[in-house]
Amino acid sequence: MPAPSFQELIARLQGYWSEYGCVVMQPYHTEVGAGTFNPATALRSLGPKPWQTAYVEPSIRPTDGRYGENPFRFQHYFQYQVLLKPAPADVVDLYFESLDAVGIDLDKHDLRLVEDNWEGPTLGAWGLGWEVWLDGMEVTQFTYFQQFGGIDLELIPAELTYGLERLAMFIQGKRTAFEIEWAPGITWGDVYRENERQWSTYNFELAPVDVLTRRFEEHEMECHELVEHRLPLAAYDQVLKSSHAFNLLDARGAISVTERAGYILRVRDLARRVAQLYVELEGGEPDADAAA
Amino acid sequence: MLTLLLEVGCEELPASTCRSVTRELPKLCEEHLKTTIEELYVGPRRIALLASVPESVEAGPFTGPPEKIAFDENGEPTKAALGFARKVGVEVDQLELVDGVLTFQPGPQPIAELVGDAVPALIKGLSMPKPMVWDEHRLPFARPIRWLCVMLDDRVVPVELAGLTAASTTFGHRFGAGELDVPSAGEYASALRAARVEPDADERRRQIVEGLDALGGWSDPGGVLDEVVHLVEEVTVLTGAYDERYLRLPARVTTTAMQSHQRYFPLEGARFAFVANGGDPDVVRRGNEQVLEGRLEDAAFTYDRDLARGIDELAGSLGSITFVARSGSFADKTARLEALVGQLGGEGDALVAARLSKGDQAAELVREFPDLEGYIGGEYARSAGYPEVVATAIADQFLPDASEGPLPGTPEGRLLAAADKLDSLAVAFGLGERPTGSRDPFGLRRAASGLCRLAIEAGLEIEIGTLASSAHGLLAAQGAELSESEDEASGAIEDFVLERLETLLSVPVEFVRAARGSALTEVGAIAALAQALAGLDKARLERLHTIYTRAARIVDKADDDQSGGVRPELFEHDAERDVLETLERVEQELREAATPEAAFASAEALAEPLERFFEDVLVMAEDRAVRANRLEVLRRLRDAVSSRLGHLAEIGM
Repeated sequence: MPAPSFQELIARLQGYWSEYGCVVMQPYHTEVGAGTFNPATALRSLGPKPWQTAYVEPSIRPTDGRYGENPFRFQHYFQYQVLLKPAPADVVDLYFESLDAVGIDLDKHDLRLVEDNWEGPTLGAWGLGWEVWLDGMEVTQFTYFQQFGGIDLELIPAELTYGLERLAMFIQGKRTAFEIEWAPGITWGDVYRENERQWSTYNFELAPVDVLTRRFEEHEMECHELVEHRLPLAAYDQVLKSSHAFNLLDARGAISVTERAGYILRVRDLARRVAQLYVELEGGEPDADAAA
Repeated sequence: MLTLLLEVGCEELPASTCRSVTRELPKLCEEHLKTTIEELYVGPRRIALLASVPESVEAGPFTGPPEKIAFDENGEPTKAALGFARKVGVEVDQLELVDGVLTFQPGPQPIAELVGDAVPALIKGLSMPKPMVWDEHRLPFARPIRWLCVMLDDRVVPVELAGLTAASTTFGHRFGAGELDVPSAGEYASALRAARVEPDADERRRQIVEGLDALGGWSDPGGVLDEVVHLVEEVTVLTGAYDERYLRLPARVTTTAMQSHQRYFPLEGARFAFVANGGDPDVVRRGNEQVLEGRLEDAAFTYDRDLARGIDELAGSLGSITFVARSGSFADKTARLEALVGQLGGEGDALVAARLSKGDQAAELVREFPDLEGYIGGEYARSAGYPEVVATAIADQFLPDASEGPLPGTPEGRLLAAADKLDSLAVAFGLGERPTGSRDPFGLRRAASGLCRLAIEAGLEIEIGTLASSAHGLLAAQGAELSESEDEASGAIEDFVLERLETLLSVPVEFVRAARGSALTEVGAIAALAQALAGLDKARLERLHTIYTRAARIVDKADDDQSGGVRPELFEHDAERDVLETLERVEQELREAATPEAAFASAEALAEPLERFFEDVLVMAEDRAVRANRLEVLRRLRDAVSSRLGHLAEIGM
């Protein structure tokens, strides 16, 4: 069996998790640093309702761009995100079966779960878990979420975040992401290398600092207003937009380390307010452990 | 006796948890199961132990309230009696009175019952520094517990915990071995070994080291072996190679790329060893080689970009990088280091090293591998053509980085290392962030010990009080948002640094305290005095001690006004004149004494005249002026001795 192309890899993951019973979502419509920020994970982790979802998410991280010159660093790449809430007892086995489903022979390779704990300071979120090693390559982040928006979760979800480029490089035996076969005859580099160059130029050199600084404030204000109107889903987009404005300012070198902590705190405060409102409307306990 | 098996099956535990569990289980086993562990098996997917236990154990007796309180005047049980019965889980009529006290004697308890109660308590007793919950039972543990296997010989003990019921089955290697029966407790390890699991961590370690030794020339500078032992259940030591073109990278860049993410062991040449947990060796080797090539390519790319910018440009861009919040940027820190190195006597290359020392904080490679700070700055300075002595000083700036670790190898490096430590102390103390208890986020204890060692072992002159004041003053002049005054901060730093001598010097603490009571201000001199005092033979120490304490005891108690100085015309005895005469000579000698030994020899001359003084002279004379004058002689004597020999009263004779 020939190694699957990038798009075939995605299709197989979609097929596997769809068959398992996940709601297959689509990428979110605004920039996020990771699939975790998509409300299908971030907000739906909260509250008492079970939820299982899977989707591709473009990961936008302005500071990681290298103008398409470094074949290992990008400001835009892809994650495959799975959230199972509550985490089933056989979640680790389910994950390994998904690797089997994309064509990895589990008996031939060395698969390991190595401690790696996750913390999202802007979301007031953390969880414990592992990075998954496939012959030494970190291909997935596996996390049992514990807290979101500063709220202890009632139903503990398991989050699987596959690094699609790494997985594809591994399966196809390519040294760099640029060489990944996206579709027959077309490489990842064909599709995205120029994109990296242009966006790196924008992120590092052209993104307007004064406008972004103002936008951050505006998104922050709008978020507060939407919370007042008790619209957590709409308010959450403002959290994402302010977070992205912060990331761009960071890439422009416009934020000192001291200011940085202040910005993170402000985004976290927004995330906390939205999360509390969301839980309230979902009819959950405001704090599961406090109620227990 | 029966053999008890307890196995807690987990999803992959962190190595640190495996280690803490290994430490804690013996005591918990004694506490909850009243027996000692015979075999302990800890690894990523299981925590297990074997122990010998009797068929039954005597439990109790459990004592409750005395008869008077347990029964009312009608002989009916009171609330107290009922409460006690409820607590031990029986009716009041199953309790008896023993020596007038309500008592529950359960008699022999079958071991299975004890195990059923004790196992959950034992598991919950393990300390979990970073616990998580994974389902509705909300049991805090390092990672989810997925099965329990508890057996007495060949019988299962159906212990219940967090929704699980213990069975007589376990799980072998994660891939291809599956669930298996444990025929009896004693056959646990052999059953697992047949299913590709080596449960014994010591045995896994032995196999790993044996495999690495067979390859030869392996190293583990980052100390990853302890972790690797708990990353595998089945040991396979494999080797791989990478392209020789990466050998052009500084050695620590390649070893850090190998160790920090991948937990590989560097071998000689462009080769590495690693420990796999299974798989087809050729497939696994190829995969790991590909991963490492990617890591090295990325490191090389980053290294080249840093080199293209060069250490001067990097050092010039530090204004936008904060050192510690409220204390300014790394550019500010650099300016302070230059000033402090100058104050410590550095010039030329030492000042150049100080100027470039923090340049690598702007390097991409340090953002990627923080452990390379210092080292890589040295490499970048070397590449830019700076003299070797500058590069070495930069590379050594964080030394000593362990309590027994080496000091910087060059004078320039020692000056920079001392300045860096002084500044870190000044920043933390100035911001009011002193270490407390086990909290020491800036590693200040290590910095302070390092300063002491630089003074003691390398002879660097550390005038700690003056230097701490200067370091604080430099921060204040830069506009740092300090919460402590210069006097508060520098006094606290001085105490903090000198306290390190108590653990650093291998002499009883009292000698260090005595030496700190002297007027000496230089760390090395204080340390030398403490050591010299501790090295004195008993007779000499006693003589000096007596001189000091006899004078001090009277003076310390006297509440007389301080007079303006000794007035010889008020002397009535020759002994007084002798003491003063000797004292004046000794004072002069003590001021000039280059070593503690010279000071001791000089001070000893006071013994005899002082002896006669106390025989012939009544210090507390009727005449106030005479009395004050005599006290003044003794005060001068006490101060002369203590200023150079220390506060000898600290030493218990």
